[in-house]
Amino acid sequence: MSLPSAIFFSKFNSFFDNSYEFSYNVTPLTMRKVKLLWNRIPDQLKRLLIPVILVIGLFIAMRHLFVPSDFGKYGHYRASAVEEVASKEIKYSGHRVCEECHDDIVEIKKNSYHRNVACEVCHGPAAAHTQDPEGNQLLAPTGRGYCPLCHEYLPSRPTGFPQIVSESHNPMRACISCHDPHDPKPPTVPKECEACHADIARAKALSHHVYLSCTQCHETPPEHKVRPREFRPKKPNNREFCGTCHSKDAPSPKEIPRVDMATHGERYMCWQCHYPHLPEVH
Amino acid sequence: MDKLIEHLWPILKQITGYIYPNEIELHWGILIVIYPYITGLVAGAFILASLVKVFNVKEVQPTYRLSLLTALAFLIVAPMPLLAHLGRPERSLEIFLTPNRSSAMAMFGFVYAWYLMAVLLLEIWFEYRRDLIIWAKEGKGLKKWIQRFIALFSTDTSEKSVEFDKKAVKAITVIGIPSAFLLHGYVGFIFGSVKANPWWSSVLMPIVFLFSAIVSGIALVLLIYMVVTLVRGEELDIVCLDKLASFLFYVMIVDFSLEALDFLHRLYESEESIKILAQLISGKLFTSLVVIQLLIGMILPLIALASVKLFKLPVELRKHIYFVSTLLIQVGIFATRWNVVIGGQLFSKSFRGLTAYKMTLGGAEGLLVSLGFLILPLLILYVLVKILPPWQVKVKISSN
Repeated sequence: MSLPSAIFFSKFNSFFDNSYEFSYNVTPLTMRKVKLLWNRIPDQLKRLLIPVILVIGLFIAMRHLFVPSDFGKYGHYRASAVEEVASKEIKYSGHRVCEECHDDIVEIKKNSYHRNVACEVCHGPAAAHTQDPEGNQLLAPTGRGYCPLCHEYLPSRPTGFPQIVSESHNPMRACISCHDPHDPKPPTVPKECEACHADIARAKALSHHVYLSCTQCHETPPEHKVRPREFRPKKPNNREFCGTCHSKDAPSPKEIPRVDMATHGERYMCWQCHYPHLPEVH
Repeated sequence: MDKLIEHLWPILKQITGYIYPNEIELHWGILIVIYPYITGLVAGAFILASLVKVFNVKEVQPTYRLSLLTALAFLIVAPMPLLAHLGRPERSLEIFLTPNRSSAMAMFGFVYAWYLMAVLLLEIWFEYRRDLIIWAKEGKGLKKWIQRFIALFSTDTSEKSVEFDKKAVKAITVIGIPSAFLLHGYVGFIFGSVKANPWWSSVLMPIVFLFSAIVSGIALVLLIYMVVTLVRGEELDIVCLDKLASFLFYVMIVDFSLEALDFLHRLYESEESIKILAQLISGKLFTSLVVIQLLIGMILPLIALASVKLFKLPVELRKHIYFVSTLLIQVGIFATRWNVVIGGQLFSKSFRGLTAYKMTLGGAEGLLVSLGFLILPLLILYVLVKILPPWQVKVKISSN
């Protein structure tokens, strides 16, 4: 070991092995107390103090350097971020500003199904338009691509929400040629159930049951078309209902498959084995 | 886009039933499987070390230091799969600098730091301090300086100071046991508290994780001890092996019972998810759960270890049984983690369909990186063993 490092380590170690001479300008009594206390701490703990102090010091220094001073003022984020976001250019104006000028549209829209769809959902951000209506004209989508964003058939959409399969729903025609977007009620209310129950209609189309109207099995209150969840159609609830066509002695056309209702399926309901909308599949 | 389709197409073909669009691809892949696996090994290895110091099991003394170093080597690697998975490792500092106390995941940083610095490093330091001073005196070159630095240039080898070291080690181990429970129980808590996922959501999860961690940790140290001793050309301490295997056997029984309890509980509750879970177990998870985890990783080693206890088998055969059993246990516990992490994402939240997991070979979350994370702790352990040799313990203790 070279001489300077030897001197350094002898000084360094004397600090821990209680031979270090403290030379602070304090009274001898306090000095003695501190020294007594210091000497009672084992050497190992004194040495461990260095990495502990280093880690704590590093933590405090990093917090000081890297954590923004206004962090945590309102919550677990930088308080000035609120001002930064607020100072961004405003692009949307809100439907109330639109309604100040377009009262004719308000009149049409207020009772329509789209009454809760804000103007800018279809027409885009309108802040610039409200500042300079002539210079910044707004457009509305006219093709078939936009409306299906909400109205394309998806099983996860709520029952009763108007949905179409755009491939088969009046192909090639623009949506707005039949539906006024401000009051999108179709020219005629769908006569059949498939407008909403497209998946069932598609399954039924493959089956012999395609010739049965939905209402033959489902007694449906007329209000169902307007408030589908409150007025629900009924379902058959006994075996005899299917038996009116499929039992041995049913007065139905003879090409319809027959079963002996007394022995076939025993105590099970028909629809536990046969899916009524596509009974050919087991 | 083409690449995405190329990646998704094989998965799409394996989907059964109905799943939501965002469930096609799993968000947590093999890296998140490795994370609880490695953390479990850390906790298990430490619990094994505590057997010597707290519960005074003298027979397993030869593995004491090795288990501490194993725990450290694996603990250093434990957060790496998470960092690789998240993709922006420098941001991990934020969890320390701006702690979010309401997030269990964010609190992991503190659990980890506590366990690393307040438990493992301290215990190793106190355990090795006296030997480091002696080695540094006898040693030369860089190694001598590294050992002096690790000992924090301490020179005191007096009886009083060594006595203090021993007391400190015992105190730290006592604190360390609940800390090890916290470390791995916490990993189980992360999964168990996901209430939207019926495969994970269970209060038993932290406890099941903990016991499987102890199983894997003991098995790993036993395996490493056997391999290292054979490589060094030394004689295996069969008393130590028998004792370790005995502990392993009992912990496995507890672990098996807990998992069986969890299974029965789910079955009896028969919540709405039971059908899809049954489909999962009998289909996509059959090989990894029933064959690998249960049969190869649990029943076979249990039978093997039980036969050692029941029959008087020759020493050589016992060694072979221990070696094969610990290997199988490692495979089984890895499969356990796989079944929890991957299995929990294979079924749709609609409970009507199953998706598939496709692992990539390359990339940040691929198989090669994952293998790297599994090999890295062994390399770190090699370096640690070079600097802090654990096998002089026996000589030292007998001389004391």
